[in-house]
Amino acid sequence: MENESRVEKESYVQHNCDHYKDHRYDDLEHRKYGDKEVDVCIVGMGAAGGVLIHELSKAGLEVVGIEAGPFWDPQTDFASDELHAYSLNWQDTRLSGGNDALKFGPNNSGRGVGGGTTHFTGVFYRFHESDFRVKSTDGVGEDWPISYQDLEPYYDKIENDIKVSGPKHFPWGPFNGPYPYPEREPISAWAQVFREGCEILGIRSSVPPLAILSAPFDGRPPCTNRGFCNEGCKPNAKFSTLIHHIPKAIQEGAEVITDSMVTRVLVDDDGTVSGVEFNHDGNYYQQKAKVVIISAFTVETPRLLLNSACSQYPDGLANSSGLVGKYIMPHSGHDVFAKFDQEMRLYKGTPVMACTQDFYETDPDNDFVRGYTLNAHGNRPVATAKILTADAGYWGKELREIMLNFNFYAQITMVGEVLPQKKNQVTLSEEKDEYGIPRPKITFSYCENDNKMIEHGVEKANQIFKARGGKPAFVAADTGHLLGGCRMGDDPTNSVVNGFCQSHDIPNLFICGASVFTTSGGANPTETIMAIAARTADYIADLGKKGEF
Amino acid sequence: MIERNTYYPDYDVLDQIEEWDPVTADAVLKRLGPFPALEFLTGDEEQRLRVICKHLVYDNRDDIFDWVIHFIDQTLADEKGEYQRSPDAPPEKILVREGLKAIDKLAQKLYGNDFLSIDVKEQFDILASLQVGKAASIPEWSTIPQKDLFDKLLVLTVAPYYSHPTIWSEIGYGGPAHPRGYYRIELGLADPWEAQRKDVTEKEEDNGE
Repeated sequence: MENESRVEKESYVQHNCDHYKDHRYDDLEHRKYGDKEVDVCIVGMGAAGGVLIHELSKAGLEVVGIEAGPFWDPQTDFASDELHAYSLNWQDTRLSGGNDALKFGPNNSGRGVGGGTTHFTGVFYRFHESDFRVKSTDGVGEDWPISYQDLEPYYDKIENDIKVSGPKHFPWGPFNGPYPYPEREPISAWAQVFREGCEILGIRSSVPPLAILSAPFDGRPPCTNRGFCNEGCKPNAKFSTLIHHIPKAIQEGAEVITDSMVTRVLVDDDGTVSGVEFNHDGNYYQQKAKVVIISAFTVETPRLLLNSACSQYPDGLANSSGLVGKYIMPHSGHDVFAKFDQEMRLYKGTPVMACTQDFYETDPDNDFVRGYTLNAHGNRPVATAKILTADAGYWGKELREIMLNFNFYAQITMVGEVLPQKKNQVTLSEEKDEYGIPRPKITFSYCENDNKMIEHGVEKANQIFKARGGKPAFVAADTGHLLGGCRMGDDPTNSVVNGFCQSHDIPNLFICGASVFTTSGGANPTETIMAIAARTADYIADLGKKGEF
Repeated sequence: MIERNTYYPDYDVLDQIEEWDPVTADAVLKRLGPFPALEFLTGDEEQRLRVICKHLVYDNRDDIFDWVIHFIDQTLADEKGEYQRSPDAPPEKILVREGLKAIDKLAQKLYGNDFLSIDVKEQFDILASLQVGKAASIPEWSTIPQKDLFDKLLVLTVAPYYSHPTIWSEIGYGGPAHPRGYYRIELGLADPWEAQRKDVTEKEEDNGE
């Protein structure tokens, strides 16, 4: 193992180290695998990485997972508080430009074991069949190399593994329930008015499937409706890979190294990858592996591949198509608020307790293709004030007025499909971060179809509120999630990985997670990320059995 | 606009603190002070920033802004990163420091005095012009984008401000409630310890909508 100090410790930011001040994990002093070449090394312990490490270690492979952030203990590290939860987010500065520059951190990316699952809302939708073939059906974007049917058994598996709660009958898409656990009930006032408004207008609505327990499971209690899903669930009622997959993986023999930032993927003379280099507390180490999987989110995955450029791959790894970092897609996530005479108390209940997907599929009557989900959305004071200020432009007296009426507002948030555009991308900037790696630069602008869909979604949300007696109050431009950047496809000139997340260029390099999405769908993506990861794990385990690595 | 006060004059979220887990209770109580000496901001900067913060959230209770200033100071002293930044804007430490200087220079140019010495209305006008990127031209704006400066100051202010328990009480926010939980969540219901609305009729009339 290399142990070479390339960074001045005094000037080193030590961002990746510790959750208690001055505390340091000593993972590196009692390595399980150490200098040994393991079967699989996974970069990133989030939604995808968590499933991968669990499934691959269950399959009997030797697996090491490396995570930039800490190994959280929900009881001592999480507080039910919006400001305190900042540490769960990926706080490193990313340069963000374009006409519709994206916001990061709480909006889409986590740091620490569990990744974004420690602060996602728990909304757990499957994609629809049409999502995988939008080019064939709508003439836009690109078709996926896999279909809904390919993922279906993995959707079933993931939902059962973590006991997703959901309705007996979910009205949309190919899977209509029932879910393993009963739907959450009762629902909050703000979700009730959403459902009542929908009913008046003849729009179907439902309680959404949620990765939040409605009854005890695996030593974890059901949800107590406090709504702190985005802040790290202290009771452990909400699933995360931190509390489910990763402890189970360790039990199966996997090793997880935390507080360690992977800085480079290592390439052998024969052009295959041989492991990774990572930085822990200012020192560099290597982990050798037969297979490397990058599951480090839509921004850090292409960043790592591009930063690993070497003589064999001068444009970065897995990048013969030139598409590493291209075609990134958020969901349009406009927040629509209306004021009611009665108290809605947005802070109660889990963040999403009602939804409609009646506008999910392409409708020939619309002036746009594809569609969106509307989620009735709860909120807490800081997030609400941030939406009002940063996204909607309020401040001073107006801000104070609205916030004094905080309890009287209800919110609907859109999750709209955003079409892939090559110019929406992650590139490396000139500026370096604390590890000496170029900071990522993200460029994003909506296209005309995206904007027309947003207009439609905002109008529908306001109609639902008005039907139920709400007064439309304000709309904030927002986004949610971020997908793509290493998209999957059958054609190596037009995609980065195949349908099993294996890179076209380097057979023992896999990229698995949000970054492989070919299109964005119009629904919260976490379940699809995890289903893809479970399918990739099966494929890699099979390769292992056949002795192909 | 009629200035309105709280719907919940008798409600104090901290009455429930015994029901909160110790990690959360500790994080919230620290917002009441006392606060250590400033690490990043100079005394001069703190004075200007305090006035700006007060205007941004339309409040002037100094004990709350002691906490807001402490939070901003700690954020700027820290190296963790700021999530995202416009490619045209400098890092937040520079944006805020140079931005405060530029605001003073703008006040001098427009009103012949430093920011703290001009009228409150003039101070508000300056902030409003920054928000839309239309402040009078000074060379500083080429390196300190006005809107980035305004948005940074605003977000740095509202996050701690709306995390202060006094503000939670005013807006009727129930708070962390762990391990207790919320049980009466449907329309028209509230748990008995939650904020209960007072003077319903009077407030409705005040609404003026």
